[in-house]
Amino acid sequence: MDSVSANSVPVAEIGLRQQAKERLYVICQMGGWGFWFVLGVVISLLFSKSEDHRDPVSVVTVVMVMPTLGLLLTHYTRPLISRWGWKQLGWRLLVPRVLASSGVLSFLWSLLQYGIIYGVMRMPWTAKVSPLVVFTLTWIQGTTLFVGWFCVYFFYHLFDRYNRSEIERLWLASSVKEAELRALKSQINPHFIFNSLNSLRALIDENPDRARQAVTQLANILRYSLQSGQLETVPFEDELQTVNDYLALEQVRHEERLRVRLEIGPGTLGLPIPPMLLQTLVENAVKYGIAPRPDGGEIAITARCEHDELHLQVTNPGSLAAGGGSTGVGLRNAAERLRLLFGARATLDLREDPPGRVIAEVLVPFDQESEAAVRDSAGPGSLHDSGGKVGRTEEKAALYA
Amino acid sequence: MKTLLIDDERLARNELRRLLAKRSDITIVGEAANADEARVRIAELGPELLFLDIQMPGDDGFALLESLESPLPQVIFTTAYDEFAVKAFEFNALDYLMKPVDPVRLTAALDKLQRQPEHSSGAPAPAERPSRLAPDDKVFVREGERCWFVELKSIRLMESEGNYTRVHFGDVQPQLFRSLNAMEERLDPRSFFRANRRQIINLAWIDRIEPWFSGGLLVYLKGGLKVELSRRQAQAFREQMSL
Repeated sequence: MDSVSANSVPVAEIGLRQQAKERLYVICQMGGWGFWFVLGVVISLLFSKSEDHRDPVSVVTVVMVMPTLGLLLTHYTRPLISRWGWKQLGWRLLVPRVLASSGVLSFLWSLLQYGIIYGVMRMPWTAKVSPLVVFTLTWIQGTTLFVGWFCVYFFYHLFDRYNRSEIERLWLASSVKEAELRALKSQINPHFIFNSLNSLRALIDENPDRARQAVTQLANILRYSLQSGQLETVPFEDELQTVNDYLALEQVRHEERLRVRLEIGPGTLGLPIPPMLLQTLVENAVKYGIAPRPDGGEIAITARCEHDELHLQVTNPGSLAAGGGSTGVGLRNAAERLRLLFGARATLDLREDPPGRVIAEVLVPFDQESEAAVRDSAGPGSLHDSGGKVGRTEEKAALYA
Repeated sequence: MKTLLIDDERLARNELRRLLAKRSDITIVGEAANADEARVRIAELGPELLFLDIQMPGDDGFALLESLESPLPQVIFTTAYDEFAVKAFEFNALDYLMKPVDPVRLTAALDKLQRQPEHSSGAPAPAERPSRLAPDDKVFVREGERCWFVELKSIRLMESEGNYTRVHFGDVQPQLFRSLNAMEERLDPRSFFRANRRQIINLAWIDRIEPWFSGGLLVYLKGGLKVELSRRQAQAFREQMSL
């Protein structure tokens, strides 16, 4: 089945990114703590007094304890950072957490260090000050060390997040651009435009009133497809209006071969959807469901509002297996645009159910705020003249039904 | 000229009818809304000219042409906007009109049509249709995105490929939607010769002939193709040529 799910596109990419991130993490850990180790060796060799008579092996071992413990402690801290959701915190909340956890880590680190060196390895105590002072100093030193580690860690994630949002933004921008381009070039199928103009020519003699009406409808569709490309979302009502005009023109061409049924649920007309989304689905339905069939068929459009989601369904006779030279590019673009605008909850799905009937289904989540925002923006600057909009569309829906 | 309009849209057919009304030389004998209807009407009415929409439900315009028996009526394609079709037309002399039809273009297309030679004027009804095709008759072939209305006289060689026939002409060799045996029945034996089980050659394209093993012949065609004749076929060939 040629199902296009909005959130399934870059799985392979995510996998690759994850691998690259893991590699970078290993390199940073090894590099950082390895550097600390080398530094430790150099310092202890330079400053060791000749009367200590320490053998090089134990010097290296002692020096190794510190970075190894650091590596292990930070490694096991890392999953906790994710689990506690620290990556999403603002710096006001993050700073005390980092300081506190650095302190705790450093305390453990110092404790284990002294435990191993003086408890397990039984190295002699050579310092001139009391163990408590040395321990406290080590603790403070370790704390700065772990703060440094956290800084590197969070700086990386900050940049990563910034880059990712930048990429997402570019993606969205380019897909909007592409949508604009498609609107100009082929979003409204040129075949449809020229066939409509041809029918219109015949209609001028046959039915002048209907011809005048058709000119207006064609103008509406062209205006909408040219202007809506610049918008991220439009109220469902505007889109539906265009789809109605489009279907009316297709009915001029296909006459009794095209039957239309609309079921528009209450509360759906103000909801935001990407422009040309429903139009793309309906055009597909006509192209693959009606045009190839000598007897035509029925296209049903249903819209309903459920659990903060707008459900759109376009049904037409046909089968997915037949395909009819479809590349699915239009649908894939629409799905990708949905995902970028509304996140993974938005889906676009094409299925055959029951056999001989193709259903394209779109789920667009909405929250009350964005709904209100779209309502506001759809006010005076709406694409359609807005005199009694709701009433008009529903009236029309009733006419079709 | 007896003309049949083939388009799935009633309004599009009406529009053509209206445009053609001014032409006294065009008589519209019927209309068809799809390829199946068109096949019936063509058999019934024997039109000399088809106005043929490319995109139709069921078989499209090309598929309809492929399925028709030669000699084909003359054809003017009509299309709304079809990159595929326009590309296909670049390779041959087929004429096409873009919808909505420009009356000036329509006149030009009609004036360009080959006037039927006197002796064959009056469309041959299916029953009296000559069983043999003349060298000037055309066959319609399509391969991928390209299609041709090719005159039989420009075909050098036909090769059997199962139920299809590969025809060699120009620098292409597309497949024809007919078996070689079916083609042979329609070809004029004075122009075409069955060289062997798999091949028919156009005698007009023979360049030179060489003796081949055990009494056979090797025929070189202009354009570099070689065809072997068995001893039996070589015998028949010699007899025909010596006449």
